[in-house]
Amino acid sequence: MGVVRFFGQRLARLAVSLVAVSIITFGLLQLAPGNFADIQRVTSGATSIAGTGTESMLAETQARYGDDTPVVQQYLTFMKGVVTWDMGPSYRYAGRAVEDIIAAAFPVSATLAVLAVLLALLIAVPAGVFAAMRQNSKADHATMFGVTLGHALPNYLIAAFLILIFTAFLGWFPSSGWERPEHVFLPVVALALGPAAVLARYVRSSMLETLREEYVTAAMAKGGPYRTVVVRHALRNSLIPLVTVVGPLLAALMTGTVFVEALFRIPGLGYYAATAAASRDMPLLMGTVLFFALIIMVVNLLVDLTYGILDPRIRAEGGWTSSRLRKVSTQQV
Amino acid sequence: MTMTQAPSGSSSGTPGGPLLRVRDLHTEFRSEDGAALRAVDGVSFDVEPGRALAIVGESGSGKSVSMRSVLRLLPRTGRVTAGEVWFGGQDLLRLPERQMRRIRGRDIGMVFQNAMEAMNPTLTLERQLTEHLLWHGVCTKSEARERAVRALGDVGIPEPERRIRVYPFQLSGGMRQRAMIAMAIVTRPALLIADEPTTAVDVTIQRQILDLLAGLKDQGTGIIMVTHDLGVARYFCDDSVVMYAGRVVERAPTRELLSRPRHPYAAGLLGSSVELGSRDRPLHPIPGNPPDLASRPRGCPFHPRCDRAVLPRCQDEQELIQIGGARAVACWRAEDGHDDQ
Repeated sequence: MGVVRFFGQRLARLAVSLVAVSIITFGLLQLAPGNFADIQRVTSGATSIAGTGTESMLAETQARYGDDTPVVQQYLTFMKGVVTWDMGPSYRYAGRAVEDIIAAAFPVSATLAVLAVLLALLIAVPAGVFAAMRQNSKADHATMFGVTLGHALPNYLIAAFLILIFTAFLGWFPSSGWERPEHVFLPVVALALGPAAVLARYVRSSMLETLREEYVTAAMAKGGPYRTVVVRHALRNSLIPLVTVVGPLLAALMTGTVFVEALFRIPGLGYYAATAAASRDMPLLMGTVLFFALIIMVVNLLVDLTYGILDPRIRAEGGWTSSRLRKVSTQQV
Repeated sequence: MTMTQAPSGSSSGTPGGPLLRVRDLHTEFRSEDGAALRAVDGVSFDVEPGRALAIVGESGSGKSVSMRSVLRLLPRTGRVTAGEVWFGGQDLLRLPERQMRRIRGRDIGMVFQNAMEAMNPTLTLERQLTEHLLWHGVCTKSEARERAVRALGDVGIPEPERRIRVYPFQLSGGMRQRAMIAMAIVTRPALLIADEPTTAVDVTIQRQILDLLAGLKDQGTGIIMVTHDLGVARYFCDDSVVMYAGRVVERAPTRELLSRPRHPYAAGLLGSSVELGSRDRPLHPIPGNPPDLASRPRGCPFHPRCDRAVLPRCQDEQELIQIGGARAVACWRAEDGHDDQ
């Protein structure tokens, strides 16, 4: 019962937020000077074949949206398209519907994002715990130095180095494409190293804090082996705050990573969003922005749920378990 | 409540001897600037099976640090620099960590001041009450659960079968404190160290907890009760040790200590106790503050606050002087037999 109500409320809030985002985005794009046709003329020349192609396409899109209709009408038309999952053709990618572009590109970005976050966690959690357990030792300092290095390098530089090493010198992995499993490796590594560094620092400081908790001492006083105590009593509790960092990180990676997608020629969402913005491709731009907003909100919802799974106190507070013994007060939490 | 469990005498002290014998314990903390702070400075005491020892003193007097030194659970900056801790025929301070671990939780149980902080908020009682039984290989998992349920019942928690499935935050403060005691006694330790177990709870629950511990004592468990509350000491501790600035200043049977304290600090502590003072006698708070560990006075650490201090003799080191059978006082004036009124 509690779960259903919790979800219902959150979904309702999510819908309201999405409408707000759509109005703001649409309004801003209307206010901005220039349009798709202008950009095309500047970049490709008015007399080129592309230009004529664009002109004919413009006529088609005008027929669909009716540029002379009031802005409110245009907005409603577009939103109807969003709701019915029929947002019409993109200007820039002639002949492809916006929803098809998103449907094709999102799984690519999502795969990249999920794998990158998993790899980042796989590096960060052991590194952070290792450093925390040996606070202020040489091992701690060395780990944190390596981590800072990973943090300082932007992902496109890491990507370039990876291509240089693994493609140019070693020839182990292809440098571009997205058809075979081996195409996944380099971009995932390039995307994961930066976040791994951030997360490792986070795990370390969170772990240090938890290790000072009395219940860790109490577990040691019960005769627990240090490692068991660290894993069972400290790690789980220090990972709870980490969820707040991992959630937005996942969302950010899912909505595309322009540089890395461009470098490895991966047909992900970031690439399309960037070109849509650059060419003022209204339908594609609106579509991707709304989709990003949706992803971020859904991820936040998942973050809250994960909190509940990891921390029984939040579960009880959020009301998505009902227990007769429930007894929560602010002073206890 | 009935105690069905007898303490495991298997690894308790040498026959006839004390359960725990602490001798000349020294513990230091390293401060930020690298200076060594002496938190425990030559502490000695014995704990007999079936008896309770109160360790009394203000906060910062080294009571808790002494206990953590005994269990070797000091924070990273702390270190035992000298002393002996004899338990079960072994000096715990010289034991390899692996063997020390087998003693913690199995032979020596520890009860903390605040169950809210000392119990893991994200693990159920079952997990927290059974894990050390499994770590020590005391019994199987299903037996461990049975024993945990029984321990919860022993400490007076109603419906233990159901409550074992809850998380600590789902219990009331008093029940949580009792659950923590259940956690400490589920392994039937021969020695129980209780670090201010009643400070964080209501007076009504305080009484229940003390009665619970008294029941354990009658079963033969040796108990160390760390407290700053002389009323608690009087209620159920047979012997008392008064600590000041990391040292034992007086050691005596509790009854004798309370009726006639010999060390000026013990007398002052008694004189400033609200619970124990008689109504027509005014409270006499001790002037001044306990010394900072970094700038400890020479000789008797209490002499700057002592109204009976005579310089320069009080600036000499004060050894514990045996007076009478079971009493010892670290004050050269104690033999004057000064009046505590």
